Amino acid sequence: MPEEDAIVIRDVSKRYGSGAHSVLALDHVSLSIPKGTVFGLLGPNGAGKTTIIKLLTGISPISEGTAHVAGYDVHRESLKVRARIGWVAAEVILDDDFSGWENLRFQARLQDLTEWEERANALLRYFELSDRKDDKVSTYSTGMRKKLEIALALLHEPMVVFMDEPTIGLDVATRRMLWDIVTGIHREFGVTVLLTSHYIEEADALCDRIAIIDQGKIIAEGTPSELKARVNADIVELTLSDGTDPKVLSTLAGVQEVRAQGNGWILRVESSETFLQHLLSSVPADHIRRISIEKPSLETVFLQLTGRRFGQDEPAKDVKKFYAQIRRLRV
Amino acid sequence: MRSQFWGLYSREVVRTFRNPLVLGLTLVQPFMWLAFFGSAWEQIASKNLGVFGTTNYIAFLLPGVLSTSMLSVGMFGAMSTIQDKRFGFMKRILITPTTKGVIFLSKSLGSATRGLVQIPVMLVAAAAWGVPLGHIPPLDWAAWGVMLFFMAMGFSSLFLAVTAPSTDWQTPAVLANFVTMPFTFASASLVPTAGFPWWMKLISELNPITYSTLLGRAFVLGRSVPWDNLWGMIGFGVICLVVGYFVSARWLRVE
Repeated sequence: MPEEDAIVIRDVSKRYGSGAHSVLALDHVSLSIPKGTVFGLLGPNGAGKTTIIKLLTGISPISEGTAHVAGYDVHRESLKVRARIGWVAAEVILDDDFSGWENLRFQARLQDLTEWEERANALLRYFELSDRKDDKVSTYSTGMRKKLEIALALLHEPMVVFMDEPTIGLDVATRRMLWDIVTGIHREFGVTVLLTSHYIEEADALCDRIAIIDQGKIIAEGTPSELKARVNADIVELTLSDGTDPKVLSTLAGVQEVRAQGNGWILRVESSETFLQHLLSSVPADHIRRISIEKPSLETVFLQLTGRRFGQDEPAKDVKKFYAQIRRLRV
Repeated sequence: MRSQFWGLYSREVVRTFRNPLVLGLTLVQPFMWLAFFGSAWEQIASKNLGVFGTTNYIAFLLPGVLSTSMLSVGMFGAMSTIQDKRFGFMKRILITPTTKGVIFLSKSLGSATRGLVQIPVMLVAAAAWGVPLGHIPPLDWAAWGVMLFFMAMGFSSLFLAVTAPSTDWQTPAVLANFVTMPFTFASASLVPTAGFPWWMKLISELNPITYSTLLGRAFVLGRSVPWDNLWGMIGFGVICLVVGYFVSARWLRVE
């Protein structure tokens, strides 16, 4: 494993259960995440993002393949891995019966730390929680609770921090605050952050590199700019009135692809501005019922790679069924 | 490992004292047995000296109630573990260098310690009810405490081992309801076992509560002390702890 990689995943698969009723949650995934980066796993619900975190943190065993975190094999050297990682859950998990300081002390004991008070005080100062450290965390606001949870994850100076959907369910202001914190801790403490998200704008704003995951497979990886450059086209969504021949769309200059979606069409075009001129010269304006134009973004990357948008795809309909199946088969 | 055990163990014990309702009910629950069951049966015992060996039924009942209350201690330990799984706390613990075995040990011993809190309250209540306790020497008090601690540890370990693969909060409660009846009534805790049918007698002879009750009753009523019961109970506690440790290390489910 190269010295500069904090996480290396080689051909990892995860299957819940066995036999005909088993569920393949991850399908031969490989990834290398360099030290000191904020790396995003972006994908819709049920894509396999949280499963990757469970495997890398040792919560769930790998079915096939190998994974190393901080230089250690997650299966054979699990305790060494767990001493070098921090974890921030989607939902805040704190002991409400205890104060902020007591939660930190508990975490220090779990991490077997002896000299932790100075670091804890520094973290409390950084997260502006010093004044409330002796109050029960049940009296904290959502933002304060999230900050304390991140402080717990950083207490033992981990090499890698896993953040599983850290902003899910938060209001816009708290989400923005969290974004600043992620950027800040990465800069201030030099940790590698592996972040999962199904918010495209979040991954775009925070991550140095992103892997797009869908149905248990990594379908693209790169910096946000690299991924957007792959699209190299504008996306036009269009609904025409009944009786308009859609075949005309594929004949227009600059149209790279036409795909049906519901009762409308999705087109990849070289330039949306030029396309509009050609469209209006071929189709009467009153035959166009709806039109929207999208410049290259991570959303359009996903659309191009999968033919679906986040959250409107067929597998998403089966997410509940998928999770219910996993719950039954969980090992 | 010591630091992690101490962190989890102290959390388990301290949490009891942070919740006044839980603490209050934990203390009052065995006291209610003395108050209701004891008062109801006292008049019968007073006329049946030959059956109970004493006319003071509360004195007869006290060791039995202390023993059966250690059974419920185990249930609380298992419920606290399920709660940790459901709220994700178990994951937080296990994404640190803490092993499942250490989690089991801290839960089991934490529950047993919590059970001991009931003992002084019960003794004060019994004394107020006219149970003479002043004649018991310090060594016997210590032996009684050790007996109850090992029984609580044994029951906690059993409950934790059985519920290790479960994440359903109903499991410990249903299990406790299922075993409470045979453990309580097929034992010497409430009445002497002499009049039991053969099958209940058989259960009572396999029941740790019987042995704990008989030892405590010997101390309270000044009878000949069956010291073998103490060694047997220490063995029961240690065996359950070892079995529970390996079962939890293998099958403790995280979520």
